[in-house]
Amino acid sequence: MRFLRRWKIQILLFLAVLGPGFITANVDNDANGILTYSQAGAQFGYLLLWTMIPTTVALVVVQEMCARMGAVTGKGLSDLIREEYGLRITFLMMIGILITNFGNVVGEFVGIAGSMGLFGVPKYIAVPICAVIVWLIAVKGQYKSVEKIFLGASFFYITYVLAGLRANPAWIESLKATIKPPTASGWTGPYVYMVIGVVGTTIAPWMQFYLQSSIVEKGVTRRQYNASKLDVIVGCIFTDVVAWFIIVACAATLYAHNVRDIRDAADAAQALRPFAGDWAYLLFALGLFNASLFAASILPLSTAYTVCEGLGFESGVERKFSEAPAFYWLYTVLIAAGGAVVMIPGLPLIKIAVFSQVVNGAVLPFVLIFMLLLINKKELMDEYTNTRLFNIIAWATTVVMIGLTLIYVYGQLRGG
Amino acid sequence: MSSLALSELLGSTVYDASGAASGRVREVALVPQEDRAKIALLIVKTPSGNRLLPFSAISAINGGVRASTAAGDWVLADGAEGLLLLSRDLLDQQVIDVHGRKVVRVNDIDFHQEIVVGRPLLKVGGVDVGARGAIRRLLKGVVPAAALRALLHRVPAREIPWEFVDLIETDPARRVKLKISHERLAKLHPADIADIVEELAPDEREAVFETLDEDVAADALEELEPKVQKSVVESLDSTRAADIVEEMEPDAAADLLADLPEERTAEILVRMEPEERQEVTELLEFRENTAAGRMTTEYIALPVTASTNDAIEALRAFEGRMESMSTIFLTDSRGTLVGAVPLAKIVLAPMASPMLGLAQEPLISTHEDAKEKDFAELFDKYNLLTLPVIDEKNHLMGVITPDDVINMLRAKL
Repeated sequence: MRFLRRWKIQILLFLAVLGPGFITANVDNDANGILTYSQAGAQFGYLLLWTMIPTTVALVVVQEMCARMGAVTGKGLSDLIREEYGLRITFLMMIGILITNFGNVVGEFVGIAGSMGLFGVPKYIAVPICAVIVWLIAVKGQYKSVEKIFLGASFFYITYVLAGLRANPAWIESLKATIKPPTASGWTGPYVYMVIGVVGTTIAPWMQFYLQSSIVEKGVTRRQYNASKLDVIVGCIFTDVVAWFIIVACAATLYAHNVRDIRDAADAAQALRPFAGDWAYLLFALGLFNASLFAASILPLSTAYTVCEGLGFESGVERKFSEAPAFYWLYTVLIAAGGAVVMIPGLPLIKIAVFSQVVNGAVLPFVLIFMLLLINKKELMDEYTNTRLFNIIAWATTVVMIGLTLIYVYGQLRGG
Repeated sequence: MSSLALSELLGSTVYDASGAASGRVREVALVPQEDRAKIALLIVKTPSGNRLLPFSAISAINGGVRASTAAGDWVLADGAEGLLLLSRDLLDQQVIDVHGRKVVRVNDIDFHQEIVVGRPLLKVGGVDVGARGAIRRLLKGVVPAAALRALLHRVPAREIPWEFVDLIETDPARRVKLKISHERLAKLHPADIADIVEELAPDEREAVFETLDEDVAADALEELEPKVQKSVVESLDSTRAADIVEEMEPDAAADLLADLPEERTAEILVRMEPEERQEVTELLEFRENTAAGRMTTEYIALPVTASTNDAIEALRAFEGRMESMSTIFLTDSRGTLVGAVPLAKIVLAPMASPMLGLAQEPLISTHEDAKEKDFAELFDKYNLLTLPVIDEKNHLMGVITPDDVINMLRAKL
């Protein structure tokens, strides 16, 4: 009996801290994620699966670092950068984050437009309405209650797992591809581009700032931090399992039937056909809509907080517009401009969404470098500095991403 | 008197007595134990390492810094323990604006420059937390200095005078060296102190609560949000926590300790003075959502035979909060509640009137097990200022004051 009770307590404790890590990871599978993984599977079949394991390992390490920094210092990432490296560097970083995150916001609206399109609602109606809804959720402070709904609806992602199972993929081939990267000849320009995109959508720079701020806001201390570690790890694994299945599902359906390019959400919905048949459209649309709306209500807000804190502007939804003008303007413009871009007729929306993730991947090393410099400072982290293993993994990720970006740019410049 | 900014001074060239460029300004330092505002020395980065240049050895500041001593005379900088280094310790850090009652981040520091006995004297005027300082820092070196000054002139400045700035330092040894005592902060209303503290990181909160006087700390602690309150108490060592909790109102102390893990509560109780410990322990035994759980045991009770003179004496001797003074209770020899006399009536009555004659009719009280809804209703119905709590034998146990009720109601709003 005592044994059962201990288990119950452990589970309750876990559920109590379940939050920042799990939520961040789920928002990771936003519209950008779904579209990028789908495109990866459609364009290259199983050839990108091998990135899943190293990326998951890197994601766990990076997220854990953010959680640890947040718990030990009690400050957000942009605060730390400001205090240790000064205004100018923080300013440059904030501009970079603003641009990168804006691309991500556009991607969420692509998801909203696409999913509503599957329901027959034209984007010119869906996007403005959803933009206003998203704006109100945060400003009216209803985020906490809505968060639970979003999280619950995140279980829609299971449909991808089921779709992947029913699609009868070539299991041996896909499992082999999960372990073995392609040979040198397989590393074409578009392939490198996609690798950067897949990593960029899994380890998005904005997630690091968001996670650390969530940990700080939740008030997690050094003592409670171990439970958060578990929350982070579980979240990362869950999100990447779903990602794996999205790629497999698309590979087994789209790629196998020579649909190599996803032009709109309808193409991506096809991947769910084997599992859901004609319900594929409905399930996909609901899942994509939920993911896009969820992320759209977090991302602009988180960006506004990050930039305002880094540059010393007043921030917070509990303040009135006149008390925190920069904060509200940033937030509003991000949403409005993000929606506006999507409404421009004739834009290749999916390509734009994927491109925003590639930008993520290119900017990621810079954020990682700062994180590594900060987390290894003894006067900041006491005995909680990085272990050598974590340093190796994080530095390796940084170097690899810089390398890939340079290779791609070089290849493009050469006309390759 | 002219003005100069820290970012303008940092990095500028230092010329020694011979006129040769000997290095660049790396740091500007104060010695807070001597003078809180006067710049004491510069740290100059020379080819042979960082050297200290006392401000008394500076002959002019225009464009660069001209020293009146030879570079070789400047002492090598070592640990710089008792110094406040403006670039490292103040720039880009958070400080407390005591006047504006909030936490702000320093963009730049403004100096006042005077010429005294032919030499320049630099004093810290204030910290720049607005756009002007930020733009100056961003564009320094990028835009030519003259154009920059002209541009900055147009930008509104947000400066906090130095005397309103309270530094935050998490290292206890440094706090002593830098004479950080938060005396300015301590003069604010506890609710404002609590607001400020809530904006700080945990380590910084702990630093503030370790430095403030116990009674100020206790008042501020009471006003903190429960989660933050808990976090602060858990970060302090048990002796310090006990010192502060002792100074709190018993009901607030009981509420706080009830939320802590048991061993921690025990550790703190053990280190408290016996009298305060007793009061808090009694309150801890009551269940939270009942009248007894909300009441305070600090009230004024007099025998039924008392007169207004006795009452006034008792009021003057009372050490509790003002809210508990708004009513004086009358009890018999066994402690049974007999009457309640509002303060207003005591003031209006002629001297030496018997208190019993002034007692409020009807006598409203509530039982110790009463639910929150019930006693809140009593407050509303009878427009009460205080509500006495009694046990089954009608003995007076404690008093509920309006702030408890408002607190309770706000939690439901």
